Amino acid sequence: MAWTWFHRLASPPHVYRVAGRLTPWLAWPAALLIVAGLIGGLWLAPPDYQQGDGYRIIYVHAPSAWMSLFVYTTMAVAAGIGLIWRMKVAHAVAAASAPVGASFTFAALVTGSLWGKPMWGTYWQWDPRLTSELILLFLYLGYMGLRSAFDDVQRADRASAVLAVVGVVNVPIIHYSVVWWNSLHQPPSLMYLGKPTMPPSMYVPLLLMLLGFTLFYGAVLFVRLRGEVLSRERTASWIREAVRP
Amino acid sequence: MAFLDMGGYWPYVWPAYAVTFTVIALNIIWARRLLKRSRKEALRRLTIGGTDK
Repeated sequence: MAWTWFHRLASPPHVYRVAGRLTPWLAWPAALLIVAGLIGGLWLAPPDYQQGDGYRIIYVHAPSAWMSLFVYTTMAVAAGIGLIWRMKVAHAVAAASAPVGASFTFAALVTGSLWGKPMWGTYWQWDPRLTSELILLFLYLGYMGLRSAFDDVQRADRASAVLAVVGVVNVPIIHYSVVWWNSLHQPPSLMYLGKPTMPPSMYVPLLLMLLGFTLFYGAVLFVRLRGEVLSRERTASWIREAVRP
Repeated sequence: MAFLDMGGYWPYVWPAYAVTFTVIALNIIWARRLLKRSRKEALRRLTIGGTDK
């Protein structure tokens, strides 16, 4: 009984229906949280005593960087489940996640560079955090490139899943790079050595943005997942009901 | 004006927000387009040959 929900996740029509129902419940809270985070971050939070108003880039950079890691981890877990249990829906989750993760990794790199120029004096440095984040972007692009190299979806699923699972080793490297090595990049923004690194007026908007971006991923993932499921289940009879105008 | 100037950091702050919100907008557009295309394709298949499972 306890595993019924898990087994139902393997059913494409069930996932298609549930994803459709849940999307607005994620999208609207995401929009509200992001708007609240923006108001807090751009207007209500005070300037930083060292970085002035330049630090406000954190409200888009840190959530983008979080998304790059969270989406990759989700993708790798889904790909792993797809490989082990041969669950088509899990492969669809991984495939639907990749473009989202790649785009936010790109945003994290660009916003990081824009923060780096006034603070470090350079847009780019071959620093452990920056380099490992760039490798993450290449992993996403490699995953998507590998998928598109196969005409057969099942072969694309298996080959790309291996890459996703192997590449997940980069996630803890990115996260701990600022702790393990000397880095230009600052230590973790929210908590460091068990204490908040910012006052509540600064970190509450950041928390709102982090949660908002995470829910946004959920909403976009569900829309993409429905598309993936429809294109994979080419001949199933439930599709007639699902796509009836 | 002081708000837009961001203490002189406007050339870095606003492009960072612009890039992030462009990525958000593109994700919404891409996702909706994927679902629309898949639906259209499924409908086309149904009109051509029906289903076989």
